[in-house]
Amino acid sequence: MELTLLAQGLVSGVLAAGLYALVSVGLALAIGVIGVINFAHGEFFMVGAFLAYQLFVSLGFDPLLSLVFVAPALFVIGALIYLSTIRYVLQAPELNQMLLTFGLSIILQNLALLIWGGDPRSISGVPYRSVGLQVAGVSIGLVPLGSFVISLVLVVGLYALLARSRLGRAMRAVAQNRVGASLVGLEVDRIYLVAFALSALLAGIGGVMIAVIQSPTPTVGFAFTLKAFAIVVLAGLGNIRGILWASLAVAVSESLVATLVPNGDSLRNAVFFAIIFVVLIVRARRTA
Amino acid sequence: MRRALPDLAWTLLLAVLVALAPAAMKALFHQASVSYLSLASNAMSLAVLALSWDLLARTGQLSLAHAAFYGAGAYSAAILAKLTGVPLFLALPIGGLVAALLALGLGSVTLRLRGIYFAIATLAFSEVLKAVVQEIPTGVAGGAAGLNVPPLFRPHFVPGAMQRWEIAFLRNADYFYVYGGLLVLAILVSTIAQRSRLKAAFTAVRTNEAVAAVMGVRPARAKLLAFVLSSALVGTLGALEAERLGSVIPDGTFAISTTVFALVTPIFGGLYTTLGPILGAGVLSAVEETLRRTFAEGYLIGYGIVLVASILFMPRGLVGLANRLARRRGPPPPGEDEAVRTASDPGAAESGEAP
Repeated sequence: MELTLLAQGLVSGVLAAGLYALVSVGLALAIGVIGVINFAHGEFFMVGAFLAYQLFVSLGFDPLLSLVFVAPALFVIGALIYLSTIRYVLQAPELNQMLLTFGLSIILQNLALLIWGGDPRSISGVPYRSVGLQVAGVSIGLVPLGSFVISLVLVVGLYALLARSRLGRAMRAVAQNRVGASLVGLEVDRIYLVAFALSALLAGIGGVMIAVIQSPTPTVGFAFTLKAFAIVVLAGLGNIRGILWASLAVAVSESLVATLVPNGDSLRNAVFFAIIFVVLIVRARRTA
Repeated sequence: MRRALPDLAWTLLLAVLVALAPAAMKALFHQASVSYLSLASNAMSLAVLALSWDLLARTGQLSLAHAAFYGAGAYSAAILAKLTGVPLFLALPIGGLVAALLALGLGSVTLRLRGIYFAIATLAFSEVLKAVVQEIPTGVAGGAAGLNVPPLFRPHFVPGAMQRWEIAFLRNADYFYVYGGLLVLAILVSTIAQRSRLKAAFTAVRTNEAVAAVMGVRPARAKLLAFVLSSALVGTLGALEAERLGSVIPDGTFAISTTVFALVTPIFGGLYTTLGPILGAGVLSAVEETLRRTFAEGYLIGYGIVLVASILFMPRGLVGLANRLARRRGPPPPGEDEAVRTASDPGAAESGEAP
């Protein structure tokens, strides 16, 4: 019995890790390439979730179909936010950058509250929502499994993009040395724009999936910003490759606490924050 | 200290104004003064919150844990009232003390964290504390449902002699005096930090810790001092607010919005000054009141817009704007210029280095 519970916790954790990796890899991209810590990252995720919800309610779109519309929409939203605000604080002190994105997060979150209210919204009519399979007493939902696969494909796709493509190489060059990159003829500002918009797009796709997995409220984004921070910090700031492992570690420990510790569900979030806290403090000691 | 004299005179004037305001308001506005007094208390509460955040920010530590210290103070007051017969007034300094001790603990482990890392660690601390408070046995802290807190002031009963609004007036005036007293205390702390050698120490630590150490400042000490003073003020405020509002609940008392208010107000008013946070609190609490009446949910959007607009168009806040306008008219008064210069280097030393 205990063993089944342990296995269930592990499986749920691994499946959740995919989505965490997808959201975190976008945040890591923005931090690594542009150097701006984006507190509003989770809000792109939230906007994706609510766009999917709205498309489902108004037009009856299946969330899988919404992906085709939500992804480009988030790319455009990300690009507009970069062009209207982020671009102007690139040279500003880190404090200003952080506070600016914090302000953006407050605006987006409350805008969603004004539009959709604070109640949880769910996409309930999707036929495959409750489909799942049982393997040796461990249940695997089709939706978490699907989101795991989609996330993994996207994250690996991003790795390939960064490693192989011209754009990816340009991004890495800009991340390493902004001045050097512009000297060899790269358009730094445009690469930043694409990186930021891409990061919003990845978060938005994650949002569509959470809209099917859970019943999100407009505050879901902030929680995911913090989770993504935990993962990015654990992987090491700007280290995109470490994200997969960090997501796995964080998601599995969260899931194990939730399933094995009595009354553990309310401690879910505390696990994340305890991880961030300890990792930051330990890192600081080691480098000092 | 001689330079502090004019500021101290202003603070004294403010104290006199606070003492006289309720009577004057009653004479002028009669029944309406009841709600004016409570609005004024809200504004003063925001000013204390903002001043304490600014005090900490002067050492370059951008805290996202103000909600934690506020909540720690509030919960201390609630638990004391529930479990002991300690006079309610004593809960205020005790709330401050509990928050200060927490800050001493948090501050000592986060000393080496800079900029964004410090911010994330303090935010994480705040969320962990919220979760921990929910896990304290229900018999002590009330769990997720929270606790009721007895009011600091009992209603004044003079049967037959007073109208109902007059009783409410007296109660609100009592709170008004306490908030006023706390604000005067916060201003004094901020002024002394601004007009004594502490200012040089704080500014040096914020701008470059290595240079500060060479100058003879002990960065760790300066940072901890600012952290403890700032949290003591917030903790006291939390205890007072718990007693005025009548209850504490984890999700509300530790809400991130307290942290948002604490940091947006000084940025809007003018960082690293005493006047800025007060000015910001006055303007923002008026704006908030209007927005809250218009939108039930989501009125915080106003704070987001103010924050983004301040960073983009007015990075030195209202005070910086006023100084710039004054300078355009004529030569700057001595001292004024200095304030602008220090205000212009928010976190200049934090250039994204590893923690």
